[in-house]
Amino acid sequence: MEEQEEATGFEAAVRQAVGDEDVLRFMDSTDSYLTLLDSLSSTLRQGWLDLAIARQSMGASRINGALLDHKSHSAATSVQVDQEDVDSMEAQPRFTLRKWALVADGKQCYEEQKMGEDKFPGKTGSLQLRHRGDSQLSDEKTSESGAQLDVDDQIQKERAKLLSMFGTLISPKLRAAQLSFETALETFVEIANMRSAMLSSFDRVRNELDHQKDDTVPIPSADLVVYDVDSCATKGLFGLPIDA
Amino acid sequence: MYGFEAMTFNIHGGYLEAIVRGHRSGLLTASDYNNLCQCETLDDIKMHLSATEYGPYLQNEPSPLHTITIVEKCTLKLVDEYRHMLTQATEPLSTFLEYCTYGHMIDNVVLIVTGTLHERDVQELLEKCHPLGMFDSIATLAVAQNMRELYRLVLVDTPLAPYFSECITSDDLDDMNIEIMRNTLYKAYLEDFYRFCQKLGGATSEIMSDLLSFEADRRAVNITINSIGTELTREDRRKLYSNFGLLYPYGHEELAVCEDLDQVRGVMEKYPPYQSIFAKLSYGESQLLDKAFYEEEVKRLCLAFEQQFHYAVFFAYIRLREQEIRNLMWISECVAQNQKSRVHDSVVFIF
Repeated sequence: MEEQEEATGFEAAVRQAVGDEDVLRFMDSTDSYLTLLDSLSSTLRQGWLDLAIARQSMGASRINGALLDHKSHSAATSVQVDQEDVDSMEAQPRFTLRKWALVADGKQCYEEQKMGEDKFPGKTGSLQLRHRGDSQLSDEKTSESGAQLDVDDQIQKERAKLLSMFGTLISPKLRAAQLSFETALETFVEIANMRSAMLSSFDRVRNELDHQKDDTVPIPSADLVVYDVDSCATKGLFGLPIDA
Repeated sequence: MYGFEAMTFNIHGGYLEAIVRGHRSGLLTASDYNNLCQCETLDDIKMHLSATEYGPYLQNEPSPLHTITIVEKCTLKLVDEYRHMLTQATEPLSTFLEYCTYGHMIDNVVLIVTGTLHERDVQELLEKCHPLGMFDSIATLAVAQNMRELYRLVLVDTPLAPYFSECITSDDLDDMNIEIMRNTLYKAYLEDFYRFCQKLGGATSEIMSDLLSFEADRRAVNITINSIGTELTREDRRKLYSNFGLLYPYGHEELAVCEDLDQVRGVMEKYPPYQSIFAKLSYGESQLLDKAFYEEEVKRLCLAFEQQFHYAVFFAYIRLREQEIRNLMWISECVAQNQKSRVHDSVVFIF
């Protein structure tokens, strides 16, 4: 009898520890979510201000909506949504931003080629390169950094190409605005992932509470606080309306 | 020592010089700007402007207002004043007044051509054109495929025709060609305007030479800074600089090889009139450079009103109004974006 009581108490303690961990995870993800919202707001404000400064410098006729390109072209940036299994729980959506898709494909091809060389050294002779000495390895590293520089150059060219709708001799502030909006796009995706993690951890906390209700061992109610995630997420904190 | 302008100027130019000096007294003052900078919404700005000469142009605009609406209506006031002066002017003042608008004409041509390249509707593009730069056949620009057609079909009958001789090619129009066309046209226009003012002589020639030289130098600096990190070669950059001004020719040679803002600063600080402009900026700072140039320009434009019996007052008035409209656009943007702490970054007081 005493052994059963000890086992039940131990299970309750473990369950409480797990519950606390879930609550901490939920609170961490909420904190990160709110921080990202704040960061997004300031990034967007800076971007819009830079755009206004560029228009002040170049003139309203050079920066206006009538110059946007209506020709059909493929998206330079896309968002990929995957379902990720976390801790054997139900799938959680995972968002990945693919910026400068054509350039990234080139980089990916280079990386896949490099991985292929590592897996099948006999085919490309890289095993011989490894044994020859440091100079050959440094040549490999130089070629890798050179390829990285090529990709970065191509990304810069893609950026310049997108801005060319406003002309080729544009104010530096217009380029700064472009970078701000790019950063904002990355932050949007991080916010989506963080929200997904936040909702997932909230579900775990709620499930844990439901389990504990079924147990006979009482749990101090002050230890667990339930937050209404949906109202936090949709209230429009920092003036930014975020759709669920 | 000038000629005897005081004896004969008022016969043909006296009425319009009085008109333009009257218009000048209607420019917004520092207290007007202080009131505008404290506005919370665009409707507050409209309310404050209703007590100024812009009142009749904004009173019928419905809420909610947009920044672009305020700019368009304020520009209409300048256009009305300009057209009144043009209809009353005789030669050579009428030609001088037309020269003042060729810059806008060039901007409109480039806007139409660029928008057409991007498959935009011509009517939509025409609405965005500056009213001072409109001409009859402007809508026909949309049919041209290269610069030769642009010239042959449309621009041969416009005042811009003489400026096209340096940039006629059969290459298809693309973003780089259009940018080079814009800058080449503007260079040719400035040089032509400069020569015209030199022919007029007297106080007009002296004051306009100073103002146009400053414009050419500022243009050279902006082209240099904006072309850093682009595909424009040094030779092409050098070709876009005007062939007059304080920086011509040695300053242009040095600017053509600059690769960052600090090198541009090093070149410009050798010229005393521009030392004070760059002294206001910290190293690597480019945001305040535009404001510093605008402040210097406003100072020179205001000085043009200190003499009588010359045409530079008309050019100065048009430029001061455009600066005022830029100020109003900036204040409206800051209010609309809730960035009132930055409102004084780009406002240039005229009085």
